[in-house]
Amino acid sequence: MGPAPQKQTSRRARRLRGRMTMAVGGSVVALALVAAGCSSSSSSSTGSTSAGTKVKGGTAVYALPPSTTPNYIFPMTSSAYISVYNLNTFSQQLYRPLYWFGNGSKPLLNPALSLAGEPTWSGNTATITLKHYMWSNGTPVTSTDVMFWLNMLKAVGPSDWGAYSGFPDSFVTSYKAVSPSQVQITTNKAYSHSWFLYNNLSQITPMPPAWDKTASGPASCATKVSDCAGVYKYLDSQAKQLTTYASSPLWSIVDGPWKLSAFNADGHVTFVPNPKYSGPVKPSLAQFQEVPFTTDAAEYNVLRSPAAGGQKISVGYLPSQDAIAKPAGSSPLTAGQNPLQGYTLDPLYIWGINYFVMNFQSSTGNGPIINQLYFRQALAYLLNQEAVIKGPLRGYGTLTPGPVGLTPDTPFISPQLKTTNPFPYSPDKAKSLLTSHGWKVTPNGVTTCTNPSLCGPGIKQGQGLQFNLPYATGTQWVTQEMQQLQSNASLVGIKINLHPKPFNQVTALAAGNCKVAKIPCNWDLANWGGGWSFAPDYSPTGETLFMCGAIANSGGYCSKTNDNYINTTLTSNDLQAMYTWQNYLSAQLPVMWQPNGVYSLTEITNNLKGVVPQSPTLNITPEYWYFVK
Amino acid sequence: MTMNLPADPPPGPESSAMGLATVTSEPLGEASAIAPGMLPAGKPRSAFRRSLDVFLDNKLAVTGVAIFVAMVLFCFLGPVFYHTDQVHVNFAIENMPPSAAHPLGTDGNGYDVLGRLMAAGQISLEVGLAAAALATIVGVLWGAVAGYFGGVLDSAMMRLVDAMLSIPTLFLALVVVAIVTPTTPILILVIALTSWLTTSRLVRGEALSLRVREYVQAMKVMGGGGTRAVLRHIAPNAVGTIMVNATFQVADAIALVVALSYLGLGVPPPKQDWGGMLSDGVQYVYDGYWWLIFPAGLCIILVITAAIFVGEGLRDAVEVRLQQR
Amino acid sequence: MAPVTPAPQAGTGKGPALVAFFVRRLLQSIVVLLLVTLITFALLRMIPGNVAVAVMGPGAYRNPQAIKLFNATYGFDLPWYRQYFLWLSNLARGNLGYSWTLNQSVASLLANRLPKTIALVGISTILALVLAIPIGVIQAVRRNKLTDHAFNAFSTIFYATPAFLIGIVAILLFAIKFPIFPPEGPQGEGLGSIITNFEAMILPIVTLALVTIALFSRYMRSSVLDNLTEDYVRTARAKGASERRVLIRHVMRNSLIPIATLLGLSLPAILAGALITESVFNYPGMGYLFYQSALKQDYPTLLGFTVVVALATVVGSLLADIAYAVLDPRVRYVSS
Repeated sequence: MGPAPQKQTSRRARRLRGRMTMAVGGSVVALALVAAGCSSSSSSSTGSTSAGTKVKGGTAVYALPPSTTPNYIFPMTSSAYISVYNLNTFSQQLYRPLYWFGNGSKPLLNPALSLAGEPTWSGNTATITLKHYMWSNGTPVTSTDVMFWLNMLKAVGPSDWGAYSGFPDSFVTSYKAVSPSQVQITTNKAYSHSWFLYNNLSQITPMPPAWDKTASGPASCATKVSDCAGVYKYLDSQAKQLTTYASSPLWSIVDGPWKLSAFNADGHVTFVPNPKYSGPVKPSLAQFQEVPFTTDAAEYNVLRSPAAGGQKISVGYLPSQDAIAKPAGSSPLTAGQNPLQGYTLDPLYIWGINYFVMNFQSSTGNGPIINQLYFRQALAYLLNQEAVIKGPLRGYGTLTPGPVGLTPDTPFISPQLKTTNPFPYSPDKAKSLLTSHGWKVTPNGVTTCTNPSLCGPGIKQGQGLQFNLPYATGTQWVTQEMQQLQSNASLVGIKINLHPKPFNQVTALAAGNCKVAKIPCNWDLANWGGGWSFAPDYSPTGETLFMCGAIANSGGYCSKTNDNYINTTLTSNDLQAMYTWQNYLSAQLPVMWQPNGVYSLTEITNNLKGVVPQSPTLNITPEYWYFVK
Repeated sequence: MTMNLPADPPPGPESSAMGLATVTSEPLGEASAIAPGMLPAGKPRSAFRRSLDVFLDNKLAVTGVAIFVAMVLFCFLGPVFYHTDQVHVNFAIENMPPSAAHPLGTDGNGYDVLGRLMAAGQISLEVGLAAAALATIVGVLWGAVAGYFGGVLDSAMMRLVDAMLSIPTLFLALVVVAIVTPTTPILILVIALTSWLTTSRLVRGEALSLRVREYVQAMKVMGGGGTRAVLRHIAPNAVGTIMVNATFQVADAIALVVALSYLGLGVPPPKQDWGGMLSDGVQYVYDGYWWLIFPAGLCIILVITAAIFVGEGLRDAVEVRLQQR
Repeated sequence: MAPVTPAPQAGTGKGPALVAFFVRRLLQSIVVLLLVTLITFALLRMIPGNVAVAVMGPGAYRNPQAIKLFNATYGFDLPWYRQYFLWLSNLARGNLGYSWTLNQSVASLLANRLPKTIALVGISTILALVLAIPIGVIQAVRRNKLTDHAFNAFSTIFYATPAFLIGIVAILLFAIKFPIFPPEGPQGEGLGSIITNFEAMILPIVTLALVTIALFSRYMRSSVLDNLTEDYVRTARAKGASERRVLIRHVMRNSLIPIATLLGLSLPAILAGALITESVFNYPGMGYLFYQSALKQDYPTLLGFTVVVALATVVGSLLADIAYAVLDPRVRYVSS
């Protein structure tokens, strides 16, 4: 029942995907991840408690997020099409990436589902040994297939790989296939091994030799980088023929558990098991279907209706405004009462942080104000995260205290931030911050600066606190959070003008560092609603987002102290470096932290098992799903 | 879906294109006509009086006027007697059912629904009336100029109208709203932008038919100027039709604002119009929060229906002046 | 206003006048079409923001080469009038453009989605007509009596109710509370699913029809009223024809002619209504696609769609005019 067809467009489609650009030496990441790995849940999720006998076969229907339809099948996906509904839930079911991330409920490497073992290192050289996987046309998955990808990445990566982060050019001196099952990659200096695996090798998807061709015939991209541009062009043009996805001889060569039996450009996709799949768990289902929805309200209608001649959804989602509020004090990770009969509710949180950006480089005249820490802190005291979680989010949300998220629980989060909210709601504190810095507070009016020497450099006498805040429409709780901020800020005379806009417009305006990207700087605050997700760089060190001059540092926050702290986290083996950095940056407010709302209130029909625990990497593994009687 | 309801079927197909003139059968001069209901021995009643009688006889039209006036009073005078805070959010009291403190409950942001209905009604009514007025003014001017002067000017002006009529209203609205953030004045402009077209067509048809009417031609022969023709003959007849059309414009303007709000293109927070209230409210249809849905819906339906009834009453009244059967 | 019997202009045979009229109308239609494309194009270019970044996502900032390539490929580095001519010349060659956000050609998108919308709009319009015409006639015949008022009130209320509210209430009542129909439109590919899964079409069709009935019945009523007072009706009655015969044989036929014009003109509005109905009932047709494209700044799709709708409207009204000119003997040709 979404009011606007685009409201509640799930944040699946709108998270900005994080990339790390570089790290030096062994890092705290390695230790943390090992520690986390030791305490993670079981590596495979073969369905926990099953009350009922397993039944082979059946069709599971998976509801796609609102207004999303898969439209790109070629794994080398450019930034226009790279998304969860094209990669995670679509092409990665057919063509498995070399390394799979998502182990139970932890965003960790899943060795069982990976096509190769963890790389072994000798000096700066990593050796990847492939397992014995087969393509569905009978040929084995070999090191040539990995070289195929690496060569193409080298040739067209910067322009056509949406997750491009500099790999391989920026840190790899050489890579070669040393045997049909082994690839060796040599880096230009010593890097953290887990960082290299998690952020760079994670980008590799082996491609079958049959794809190594152009329109005129076979090519040799797997051996010659110079051939790759032409091959990419051909494969990209094939990927534009959506009507041929199910029948094409190219796309039907798969190494994943599934292959396409039907594909409709309007979003109806049907997978059937790939009998030649070499992985550890073969699909139980006879069919796995994805179905599109215009709005989450339309999807909820189908969830609620008995299957009267229509389809029944097996795995869907509950719009958060229809959720039943959880009792106070219960963990956001646990499911509360479910308004639906016959379904099990399982909240899924994405591994990331949520915030909205403030433009330190604003050319509207508000730049100097935003640069003042006391002002940002005043605003933070007015943004009542807890009220948003309790109210619009119905308890299904976590606080974002700083640059590291609280969910899922990892060793990365500083103990201090884990337990205390650095900015609990306090209009009084906000008011005193303003008055002690030379502002005359006019509640429900516009607060003005009466003492420029106290207000700060660049702030004029009589300048008012008035800001424009464009925010992305489509997510109800974000809309309500913005209205609350506007309302609370008016109590101390900070006038915020809200501008609801489509998601694309907000990101186009504010997602890049305006000075670095050379785009207009005439915005103050902007909220695309989704913050940042750590995928596939699962280590939340801050160089992409918070270092001086980083392109994803939208607001332009720059601090030498912060840069030093970040560099320490990349080189130190002590988790304390992470904690020190977080504690510092959290109070600095380089961006305005906002609640991390639940990504999806997943509803799973009661007779379908194997779906939980869901992975915060948003990868799904329908080959584990099975019906019970 | 909104569609401008012209008062009548268009006067012949595309008369703008065919150059077709449909000639009405108005008599020359009205004052001497004999109207039904005239007292046998008394003076003939004026045309205006007759129209008023017809209008007042039409029960639906009278009801419409009453509803409309009641709504205006409710929305603009109501807040004087019933104070609520429509600016500050309070999640602690969100979505509460009707109670003594809040006769119609509260919405998702904690706003009192009854108070919000009044505030939202102000915006809806303002937009509806202002957009209709603006559209009518522009449409009348455009159509009159095109119809009276004819020729290439007429052709060019009406081609532009045809072109804009072929573009779906929502498209125009979507694009304009994507360019500028919708505030109340912008919304008025956007809706007026799409509504003036049918008015101009209507007026142009009238002006065209009048141009070729015998008595206007006769006047020209006798040396009477165009202005005189326009004022003495076009104006009285056209005014009736224009008024009727304007009333329907009000109905359509309000409906269009509701559609735009549903698509997320209404006024920005903390303000809201009835359409925004309704489209937010229907999210909770499964949760049983009826107070978020029916009051706003009822207001919308009532006002649009009232406007249409009034428009139809006006049309019947105007027709009486025109008919001499 | 009612048309009056004219004196046919001496010396003007019907044949050549008709042809001349047709040619003139055709030329005018082409001008209108061009104007539509120009207006649409100009409007779209006014939307602020970098289109390359809107399409490629904020990651594009890391890739200035990609932005340059995008602008060069789609002509965004040209001045707007040259972009317009580029698009027009593509259009002349039958290339409607390529949708960036959906990775399909606009033509294939239309081929995929348009039939669904046409089915929805077509069937509901027919349903609306089938109901509205008799209602309009009854209303005219029983003018100002209770029946007239009742129908009037009923159809007006449905016209005043927002389409999405009707749809949502319909789903709540007939798909959830009393599970008679499915809560969403037919989901299969192509038009075949509409036939096999027709019960899923019923709620969307009825929703869309309910709003249109009001308009059509009102027109029909006006039109019938106008005709009922015509001379030829009096003549027929004087000749002894029964009321029913008069109604059906004479009045209906002539009353239907303005309806044809109305149909042609109301196409854009009905499509706008379809947009909302499609999104409520999860029926991904052209209307809903158009709305999504507007939000994502997918210009080629928007342009392509607008051209198609404008073409349909212009052709529709052209045909209606011709039909009118051919059928109605009372029409007078005046050189404009």
